[in-house]
Amino acid sequence: MSSDIVIEGLGKAYAPRGGRRPAVIFDGLDMRVEAGQLVALVGPSGCGKSTLLNLIAGLDAPDAGAIRFDGRARDSRLAMVFQQPRLVDWLTAEENIALAFEREGSRPRGDAREMVRALLRKVGLVDHAGAYPQFLSGGQRQRVAIARAFAVDPDILLLDEPFSALDELTARRLRLLLQSLWGEADGPRPTGVLVTHNMLEAALLADRIFVLNGHPGRFAAVMDIDLPHPRDPEDPALFAIHRQVLHALGEA
Amino acid sequence: MSVVDKADAAARARVRVERPATRWVPAVRSAAGEALPFIASFVLLAASWEAMALWLHSPLVPDLSAILREFLVIGESGKAFREIWVTFYRMGLGFLLAVVLAFPIGIASAVSRKAERFFEPGVILGLTVPGLVWALLCVIWFGVSIVSPVIAVALGVLPSMVITVQQGVRSLSADIVEMTRVFRLKRTTVLRRIWIPLLYASTISGARVGFSIAWKVIVLVEIFGMSNGVGYQLNSQFSLQSVEGVIAWTLAFWLAMMAVEYLVFRPIEKNASHWKKSAYE
Repeated sequence: MSSDIVIEGLGKAYAPRGGRRPAVIFDGLDMRVEAGQLVALVGPSGCGKSTLLNLIAGLDAPDAGAIRFDGRARDSRLAMVFQQPRLVDWLTAEENIALAFEREGSRPRGDAREMVRALLRKVGLVDHAGAYPQFLSGGQRQRVAIARAFAVDPDILLLDEPFSALDELTARRLRLLLQSLWGEADGPRPTGVLVTHNMLEAALLADRIFVLNGHPGRFAAVMDIDLPHPRDPEDPALFAIHRQVLHALGEA
Repeated sequence: MSVVDKADAAARARVRVERPATRWVPAVRSAAGEALPFIASFVLLAASWEAMALWLHSPLVPDLSAILREFLVIGESGKAFREIWVTFYRMGLGFLLAVVLAFPIGIASAVSRKAERFFEPGVILGLTVPGLVWALLCVIWFGVSIVSPVIAVALGVLPSMVITVQQGVRSLSADIVEMTRVFRLKRTTVLRRIWIPLLYASTISGARVGFSIAWKVIVLVEIFGMSNGVGYQLNSQFSLQSVEGVIAWTLAFWLAMMAVEYLVFRPIEKNASHWKKSAYE
């Protein structure tokens, strides 16, 4: 099974720069993400969404409090889709995905080559298996990055504004792709945290939306989205949620 | 068989007939397209030299036939090949020594500020010192042994190779490093799939520059301290006041360097950067 993410009393501040006071990002933040849920973190830019994600990813260390992954004995497998694809330019699409199998202390289950093929099929890039990233379009690169994240069969999947660098039409396609990959995951669904500034995207994909605001960052609202998956991006219910989020941020 | 089928079959037959006659045309055309500018530059160079020789009519500017005669003399006797081999051997050893030293120094100064500060004065000194000084010092210190040219070449090439390696290491974005940490990739994988290919691709063009520096140093060492090699031959032609001799030796070595460029460096570079999208292709 996948892991709960438990955050308790999280504190994080950045050292002062140029004589200013230290920037306190979080001071005693609590959060809980239940196993198998996909939650969205929304809020204005600079509110600490990406900092929180980096703390969960272990790319940054908290000053106070703890972040735990509960629910399994062994280490949680973590994967991430970044805003930029972050592919290795000198590896083909196929090799970039297979790279994720080379984790510290774990072996891929089954035939790696076949698993990569299956992932490429799912993201619609079978014909580009041998292509180098510089020869792929932005949307195709991000598809490879998504396939790489799912390759590790993650317990925890972190998504850092994964569609915000793409044009709207491509972003829309990839949101639907992500939704279908999430739905058809073999075995238990990963626990997901999606950072986005697009509230409709949050409403489309998330089971729960955390609205982050203020300095230091606090949750202005936590909303459960009870619509069944898969959802239709044109569903009017999503726009209603969009309005609620804006309301929670004091914008409407 | 319908009319359409017949027309189709006829068209196919026509294509089949035409193919053997036309197939090689594009290949020849593209080869010609590649060779043409090369030949044009060579012809222009030779023609202007010949014009200059005819116009000045001086023993200081021998005409093409005199140069060619001298060139054939050193070529036919096999002397050119022997001497160029000797020079390449010395250059190669020195160059290899520089590369072997450049990797640890370059990597260290890319990843550590302290190491960078430590090596920086030496690298800048090395870049400023003319090859002539290394040649003179090494001949004074090591005499006429093989050590002189090897050390002199290594000292000449090292600074630029260190900078090449350092910049190669720095060219890996922090984004990719973060990615490898999030995905918890094995150290051996990161080394094998990321660092080695990156350094391979980024140092090869620096290596080419380094090799041309090596030539500029070795020729001086051979002039001052060696009793064979292309530099020595150039010097002895100089003392005979044979301008065609100097030019013929330069020409022979130029050809050898071209061979190295096209047979060694170009294929390696192509192999190392096949994943790059080029704007000029």
